Amino acid sequence: MFYSPVRTNAAEVAQSNRLHLFRYVEDPEQVKVEKFEEHGGYVAWKKVLAEMEPSQVIEEVKNSGLRGRGGAGFPTGLKWSFVPKDSPKPRYLCCNADESEPGTCKDRVLMERDPHAIIEGMAIASYAIGCHQMFIYIRGEFAHCADCMEKAMKEAYEHGHLGKNIHGSGFDLDMIVHTGGGAYICGEETSLLNSIEGERGMSRIRPPFPAIEGLYSCPTIVNNVESLASVPHIINHGAGWYKSLGTEKSCGSKIFSLSGHVKQPGNYEVELGFSLKKLIYDKDYGGGILGDKKLKGVIPGGSSTPFLTPDMIDIKLDYESLVEGGSMLGSGAVIVFHEDTCIVWVIKRLIRFYRHESCGKCTPCREGTAWLEELINRIEAGRGKPGDVEKVEEICGNILGHTVCPLGDAAVMPILSTLKLWRDEWQYHIDHGKCMVKTDFEFK
Amino acid sequence: MADDIKDKVKTDVPTVTFTMDGQEVTVAKGTTILEAARSIGIHIPTFCWHPKLKPVGSCRMCYVEIEKWPKLAVSCVTEATDGMIVHTESDKVKRGRRATLEFLLLNHPLDCPTCDQGGECELQNLTFEHGIDDSRFDFQKNRFTSDTDNTVFDDKRIGPEIILNRNRCILCYRCVRANKEAFGEYDLGVYERGNIAEINAAPGQQVNSPFSGNLPEICPVGALTSVDWRYKMRVWLAGKTPSICPYSSSGSNILIYTDDNKNLIRRVTSRCNDDIDDGWLSDITRYGYQIANSEERLQTPLIKKEGKQVEATWDEALEVICNRFKEITEKKGKVCIGGLISPSLDNASLYCSSKLFRTVFNNNNIDFRTDYRMLPNKPDSYFGMLCNRSFRITDIDDSDVIVVLGSDLIREHHNEYLRIRKAVNFNNARVFSLNPYSVKSADVAQAEIVYNIGTDEIILVAIGLAAIEMGLVEQGLAQGFKEKVKLGSLAEATEVCGVSSDDVKLVARALAGDGKVSVIVGELITRSHGREAVASALFNLSRLLGIDKKGQMAVLARYANSRGAEKLGLLPIPTGAQVEMLKAMWGKFPDAEPQTTDAMLALMHKEEISGGLVLGGNPIMLYPDRQFITEGLEKLDFLVACDLFESETTELADVVLPMSSWAEYEGSYVNLEGCNQVACQAIKHIGQSKPAFEIIRLIAEKIGTSLFESDEQMATEIEQLLSCEPDNATPDNFVDVLPLSEEVDPDFPIPLCICDDPHHTGALTQKAPSLTNFTGEAYIEMSPDLAARLEVSEGQPVRVESPVGKIVMPVKVSKHIDNDVVIIPRNFSQIRVTSLLMRKKRVDRVRITKVDE
Ligand SMILES: Cc1cc2nc3c(=O)[nH]c(=O)nc-3n(C[C@H](O)[C@H](O)[C@H](O)COP(=O)(O)O)c2cc1C
Ligand code: SF4
Ligand code: SF4
Ligand code: FES
Repeated sequence: MFYSPVRTNAAEVAQSNRLHLFRYVEDPEQVKVEKFEEHGGYVAWKKVLAEMEPSQVIEEVKNSGLRGRGGAGFPTGLKWSFVPKDSPKPRYLCCNADESEPGTCKDRVLMERDPHAIIEGMAIASYAIGCHQMFIYIRGEFAHCADCMEKAMKEAYEHGHLGKNIHGSGFDLDMIVHTGGGAYICGEETSLLNSIEGERGMSRIRPPFPAIEGLYSCPTIVNNVESLASVPHIINHGAGWYKSLGTEKSCGSKIFSLSGHVKQPGNYEVELGFSLKKLIYDKDYGGGILGDKKLKGVIPGGSSTPFLTPDMIDIKLDYESLVEGGSMLGSGAVIVFHEDTCIVWVIKRLIRFYRHESCGKCTPCREGTAWLEELINRIEAGRGKPGDVEKVEEICGNILGHTVCPLGDAAVMPILSTLKLWRDEWQYHIDHGKCMVKTDFEFK
Repeated sequence: MADDIKDKVKTDVPTVTFTMDGQEVTVAKGTTILEAARSIGIHIPTFCWHPKLKPVGSCRMCYVEIEKWPKLAVSCVTEATDGMIVHTESDKVKRGRRATLEFLLLNHPLDCPTCDQGGECELQNLTFEHGIDDSRFDFQKNRFTSDTDNTVFDDKRIGPEIILNRNRCILCYRCVRANKEAFGEYDLGVYERGNIAEINAAPGQQVNSPFSGNLPEICPVGALTSVDWRYKMRVWLAGKTPSICPYSSSGSNILIYTDDNKNLIRRVTSRCNDDIDDGWLSDITRYGYQIANSEERLQTPLIKKEGKQVEATWDEALEVICNRFKEITEKKGKVCIGGLISPSLDNASLYCSSKLFRTVFNNNNIDFRTDYRMLPNKPDSYFGMLCNRSFRITDIDDSDVIVVLGSDLIREHHNEYLRIRKAVNFNNARVFSLNPYSVKSADVAQAEIVYNIGTDEIILVAIGLAAIEMGLVEQGLAQGFKEKVKLGSLAEATEVCGVSSDDVKLVARALAGDGKVSVIVGELITRSHGREAVASALFNLSRLLGIDKKGQMAVLARYANSRGAEKLGLLPIPTGAQVEMLKAMWGKFPDAEPQTTDAMLALMHKEEISGGLVLGGNPIMLYPDRQFITEGLEKLDFLVACDLFESETTELADVVLPMSSWAEYEGSYVNLEGCNQVACQAIKHIGQSKPAFEIIRLIAEKIGTSLFESDEQMATEIEQLLSCEPDNATPDNFVDVLPLSEEVDPDFPIPLCICDDPHHTGALTQKAPSLTNFTGEAYIEMSPDLAARLEVSEGQPVRVESPVGKIVMPVKVSKHIDNDVVIIPRNFSQIRVTSLLMRKKRVDRVRITKVDE
């Protein structure tokens, strides 16, 4: 029925008056503008145009406590307020749909199944920052998503939600669907801007931050798909309502992409502060570990975040709790590993990704990830030399905090965390030339 | 850099004060820690940083520790702020730098013994300073090999003069950034990513811009090396002499590297002068030195005996010259000798020539403008006034509006083209290019206006009318302006020029604003006899819009010492002030009728000038009417030509004298802004050649007059003349603009422009092998559309005919041209392009036909 038949908890969301992003994602008609409107779509957009000043929109989003869902968790309204009020330059909005962080697959579902919700959120954000040209930058491999967004955009124009003098407000807004070439780094906001400009996807030094000097050196806001898709609901139900969801500091709901050794991988929208244990084990969500094996570890926020161990299973999934637990919420991709997982093998798989995706700009990440891959491959294959583990640790230390963009940190943080949590396993590879756990599993 | 920062502090911009290695430092707000460190002599190592490029902070070598900061900071992109406490040599910093070096060396081939960068390699130097002596990397190094061979050595020629070795590359991206940012070129790029990222030429392309030679120079390692210098010698064994480019009118500062045992120049690099060249050299400047080493150099004087030039001694040659000149003067009086002097020569040579003609031959038959047509015989023409205006290269940097009229700068004023790019990159300057065909250097322009050829003055009038119609100027001025032009409205003017009035309005609005302005008039105007009309139109426009009060407007001098020639009075009619000064110095000044180049040639035809002296240069190749000049010189009873090489001109001479190149003696040159610079002697004279000024002095002595009592006297006289500042005079009021229009002969419909190739200048650079590697033979450049109509493709020969000549040459299709103007470079003697030209024409027109092979 859907291009990517990912499991969602839409049925539960439909019953809830607190969750909203996934309400209609199992309705195949939702992609059509008529259906979307029937479900209350573009009402927020019309309301904003008719009744609200841009500054009021920013205030509302600030008050809602919405934080970026792209990884860094930066307060969205606050970011919008950084756009200089008096700049004579045009401003731009870029919706970041490059979703490439291993484990993350939530934006894709939104684009395929509820594209108008994204357009509506983008439009409201554009209005708030005084932007008349917005972009959605879609990961190169997501050709199908780009199709969906193109179609939706066309309909939005046809229904007067985009274009000149929208709904008689005098506000003009145009949209461009831009696809990438398929590079993780292009999800990093400054690389994304370079890529739209037609340059090589390589990160820029910050400051200046994009809100001051972004696309074509003009003030630019980059927001994640999910962040923007949450905005119409804030406008519709009010900041107070949104703030009442989740925890005190982590407001609202969030989509978690659950993958790895669970019985029911999928995308689940839950309120922030949801229990990790419930997400993994509850029959409505993960439904337990594959083969009912024991849990070994969890990456809670996408491959760039440090591991959690089974003793932390009661942790709450919100920004603060996860930091306290030594990890991060990141993009909300929860990857579960059961007891038979060789942790060195997992790291080998991850470093291969980061080495491949390093843009090559800065020395520590470019050279360091490649060196790490060589070393880790050797260790995993049982050919590691004494001192290799220490070397890995030292190289990680020479990368961490030394790079232009966070990709370098992202590459080494999971490694460092496994060196702390499962050092014996690493050392076993060196000492015995083989793995101490069973390795007859195929990781999917 | 240090001075820059001090300047910033002086002009009361806000400052910040912070502590670096225990020293208190105050710098302008916005200064990076690295810049601040350099200003007080603290050395922080860098790779990716380059003073002329925007910092990218990627190599991670320039770490410093800032107290209270959780991580090391990269100093090249971190601005200093009040109260910061910075340490540049702490243990943490050292560890960080060592880690970076270790990373950089992981895949480095360490082939230092055979690397040409040895001795000037930044990686080698910094490893020596900070590095570790042992590699912890025990894997196969990444290896790039060139497609053509199967050795492990990467050696790929990515441009006519550049060799790439990707294994040595440390991916600092300086080359790609400079190429794009400073030169506007996209022929070099980064491919792949991560640690297999590589620098390479764009697929199917060559790295061959006129600035390509800068790339090896800014590469910190031996990844980019130049064909020219490679494997010639070890850099520490080379002699180094500061000098000045003998080709560019801005006077790029260079360093000449010599092999003193062999008396050869080995290479030229930049001796960065922020006010002049900004550290970039054009390839002409960089490789043009090769003419000095040429095997073809004239070694001895030649005397024509029975129709053949045979080797002779200096004494014999001077004897003949003296006798023949005396004979001619006795027979015909003193006005019958004329001199064509190259404006590429140093001050002494130019001044000696002027003094020889005026005090010994007692006439005013002397000119340096041998490639101009139909020069007016009036001293105070509007064009003359425009030439005598001051201009500063650095004033381009902070100009808000830059207008270039009649020039493809990249073929004429390389340095100024880069300055304009800089103004756009760093100062958001708006550039407007006004030309009769679309030019490459308009790539930075906000609007490029391509007008009908031969309507250069009308386009200026149109700009004025646009400003008036938009109500941007005061009524009284508008009235005055309109009275002097025959065109009533903007519409009428744009119709004549064939341009859109919207574009013209854009220029008008920009020029009428308050921003600082630079207006540059180029050679398409200078060399054409439309120059007077253009100058008057420009003065009117300036009066209307206050241009000269908001900035500068000038005709840029064309050759290394054109400005010097003007200042030294090497014109048939020097300015009043110059004549006064000369009279005082010499005690006399000839009252003979002054003769410009054209006038002298006409007198040669009439046999009223019977003796000639050509000092440097090859006027037959460059004068815009080959037949006219050749016949004129042929009619002379006696011609002396001095040059580095045999040429079309020396062929006609009765005596040929071997001249030394600029590198063989110390000389000074005045650049286009009037700055006098010295080029030191780098090598000894080749063969029996002598510097031009010495030749002139010897001739005078042989004739019986010594030009100077001492060298000091010569120096003082030159100094005195050079001290005259430009008067910046403008006409007192609006002046008549007298457009020149010509009938178009329907048989010859296609306008022809003669320019320099971007890799050549004048007639000499064809002797520099590196430059001919870029372009070795003439071509006719045309739009794809015209080529299609002629049914020819790139490289196919066509016949080009004018009413007076016919030549055949291959086609070069240029995508950026989109009208029916064709361009032929004048730098190649195999084709006689000036034989198509007529000196009285404003616009040359030709007929082109396909040649069936
Ligand atoms: C290597 C890297 C990859 C990233 N990829 C994505 C991505 O695919 N999607 C995304 O929304 N943000 C991504 N980000 C985060 C963005 O840089 C940026 O913070 C985010 O788009 C801001 O949106 P938000 O405030 O709505 O979260 C990435 C960051 C890094 C360092
Ligand atoms: S950290 Fe990696 S991805 Fe980020 S800029 Fe440096 S090389 Fe590129
Ligand atoms: S070729 Fe040279 S300048 Fe270019 S990136 Fe490599 S090391 Fe830097
Ligand atoms: S010089 Fe500062 S990072 Fe390269």
